Amino acid sequence: MRINRQVRRSWDLLYLLTFRELKLRYQDTFFGFLWSLIRPLLQGAVLFVVLRKFIRIDVQDYHLVLLAGLFPWTWFQTSLLLGVGSFAGNGPLIKKVYFPRFVLPLATVLNNGVQYAFSIPVLVLLLVIGGYTPNWTWLIGIPYLLAVEAALIMGVVLLLASLDVFFRDLEHLTDVIVGLIWFYLTPVIYPLSIVPAKYHDWVLLNPMASLIEGWRQLFLHNQLPGADLWPALVFAAAIAALGSLSFQKMQGGFADAL
Amino acid sequence: MRSEIGGDVAIAFDNVSKHYSLALQKQATDVKSMLLHLPRFLSNARSPFVALDSVNLRVRRGESLGIIGPNGSGKSTTLRVMSGITPPTSGKVTINGRVSALLELGSGFHPQITGRENAILNAVLLGLTLNEARAVLPAIIEFSELGQFIDQPMRTYSSGMFFRLGFSVSVHVQPEILLIDEVLAVGDAQFQQKCMDHIHGLRASGVTLVLVTHDMLSMPKFCDRAILIEHGHITDEGVPAQVVHNYLARVEALLALGVERQQELKVAQAVTS
Repeated sequence: MRINRQVRRSWDLLYLLTFRELKLRYQDTFFGFLWSLIRPLLQGAVLFVVLRKFIRIDVQDYHLVLLAGLFPWTWFQTSLLLGVGSFAGNGPLIKKVYFPRFVLPLATVLNNGVQYAFSIPVLVLLLVIGGYTPNWTWLIGIPYLLAVEAALIMGVVLLLASLDVFFRDLEHLTDVIVGLIWFYLTPVIYPLSIVPAKYHDWVLLNPMASLIEGWRQLFLHNQLPGADLWPALVFAAAIAALGSLSFQKMQGGFADAL
Repeated sequence: MRSEIGGDVAIAFDNVSKHYSLALQKQATDVKSMLLHLPRFLSNARSPFVALDSVNLRVRRGESLGIIGPNGSGKSTTLRVMSGITPPTSGKVTINGRVSALLELGSGFHPQITGRENAILNAVLLGLTLNEARAVLPAIIEFSELGQFIDQPMRTYSSGMFFRLGFSVSVHVQPEILLIDEVLAVGDAQFQQKCMDHIHGLRASGVTLVLVTHDMLSMPKFCDRAILIEHGHITDEGVPAQVVHNYLARVEALLALGVERQQELKVAQAVTS
């Protein structure tokens, strides 16, 4: 009885916090929710002009290749940047109220996941205009990849947010590593196919590389993710386990450290 | 675990200690000061601050316990350990029943969203499910007397309105054990009276109450039993009025002693000069 109730409450909290964040982010703005589309589209447009027109990257339908990778990557990057401080930034609440704390970072991940999900129709529209047609594979592929990416991000964010309570440098480290290093080493602004074959194995060791390529194969080639997705699957399972374990171990110290 | 402790016990502390680790000197917390004070950083001297020292305590179901003591004696730490916010360093804490802790009114309220939205979220944070929170919302709004302000963003609230909503939510989450830390003095006299009446009502309905307070006069009205905590130990226990009387008598004696000391010192100085 009591366990069920706790689970129920955790879901309710997750739901309430997710939508409070969504609401807060665009409150009192004229464009409101459109901002979650404007930002990645604008970023995509700039990258397209620079990389396709100036540097002349030789990829067919580059704008679609780019957006199909950029949208799911944005979910990952924004969740990490906003989620890493979700315990440290809620000190007063954690010190005064006893509630399942894991809902704080997970709500950030879900909130950004909702924004990604809402950007998919825009991508579909552009794909259709570009002559690509969705088919049934999407009905399986989208939920599947959403679940894998959600597990992966939640694991990473839970681990980082827990450590961040005791080691605040992580907020800056995350920013540097994800934004400046991980982003460029992942085939987001370029497709995997353009990378010389001798580097392929190395690039694919990066779990985000196989995940982003998985999204791309699904959107552009109607291909369900198969065995190629293994680095993302293994990493997601491992980091989700590690994230929950380290959270369990560390959460007792949160109230005293904050 | 529950079988060891009788079914009529709501809260049990067995040899519960809570230590906080305090830095002895200002610690090097960034690279620059770490390099400047390398030996000190490596020795990393820290002393444990004992907030609670092997405390044993039983609170019976339906009982109302008052906790008094000087600042920094461990009263609030006791409530935090009871509520689960922080685990004890050693010892065993047993809680039988659903706990709600009023350590601070309105923690978690967000100024940008309405009182209604905040009330729902806060009620779920404090222990209800979403359905329960929605069911109890009308009662919360009525008790808070906020009227149409309930649908305004909370940044427009006066501090009195803010605390009224905080209190209303806290007492409507139907706890079996209610922990209160110095939050009863809220709003105007009329609202305070309403809060007091509500607390009496909760007591009458069998809610276990633990109250930390500096209000020595009203505490005996709320509590069946009182404890005095000093330096992490329970130093007195018994009938509330008696515990308060003993404590105040001692404080007065100490103050008188202090005055005497100062006079002696003055005399001594006068003589030596």
